[in-house]
Amino acid sequence: MAGKIIADQIEHSTAGSLDTSYVVNGSAKAWASMTGAGTASVNQSLNNSSITDNGTGDYTLTNTNAFNYADYATGCGSQWRRSLYTAAQTSSSINFYTTQPDASETALADSGSTGFSVTFTGFGDLA
Amino acid sequence: MSEIKVDSLTGKTSAGDITVTSEGGAATMQLQQGLAKAWATADDNTTIMDSLNIASITDHSTGVSTLTFTNVMNNNLYSITVAGGYGGGTNDMGIISWNDETHLVTTGSTTYFISALNNGSTGSNYDPARGCYHWLGDLA
Repeated sequence: MAGKIIADQIEHSTAGSLDTSYVVNGSAKAWASMTGAGTASVNQSLNNSSITDNGTGDYTLTNTNAFNYADYATGCGSQWRRSLYTAAQTSSSINFYTTQPDASETALADSGSTGFSVTFTGFGDLA
Repeated sequence: MSEIKVDSLTGKTSAGDITVTSEGGAATMQLQQGLAKAWATADDNTTIMDSLNIASITDHSTGVSTLTFTNVMNNNLYSITVAGGYGGGTNDMGIISWNDETHLVTTGSTTYFISALNNGSTGSNYDPARGCYHWLGDLA
């Protein structure tokens, strides 16, 4: 490491100041952009080591560095009038399903939509 | 309490790489990678209420809008999380999604969204009373 500064607050000359706890606690600890079509794959990510395609519209992401607990905050996104939601999560992995508003709450086909993509963001404390 | 007064933070070894230690102390992560690069709240797909790094919103038709970045993303592989306001009726579930990959966009300059509403049995486009958007990924 080139250098290290320990500080509780940072201040910009015009934009205001901020406790560094907001920087550490407010930063996403994991995020991923994934292709769901066919065998799921990760396009780009932070703190993600692998993705498992569990079946139709059913994915599990594994974190490189684990969270401090299982109940970290998550956000999801999806392409083309569908929704991605979390089915189960642990400190080191998270399981997602896809659905869409004109269907029952079941996992949907993850193929048939070229490049179908889904995304995830995780906020909380790392271990 | 210690305090740093600066207008910008830049990595010394690598300009785009500043390391922070995790809350539990067991891991380190890159500061820049964890910061949201853009966020916005918009009303009815027509008005940006508050935002970071968003230049404009374009309302194409009911449920279809484009948000344009001020500073562009490095590619179209960024992560987006979204939330759409409740539709107002029984069993209504509003969701916001993005359109196909071509609209996610080769230049990284815009994201093309489509909002849909479950009004019981069939989905239809709608303009969410409040749409919330967050982008994570690499800026150019």
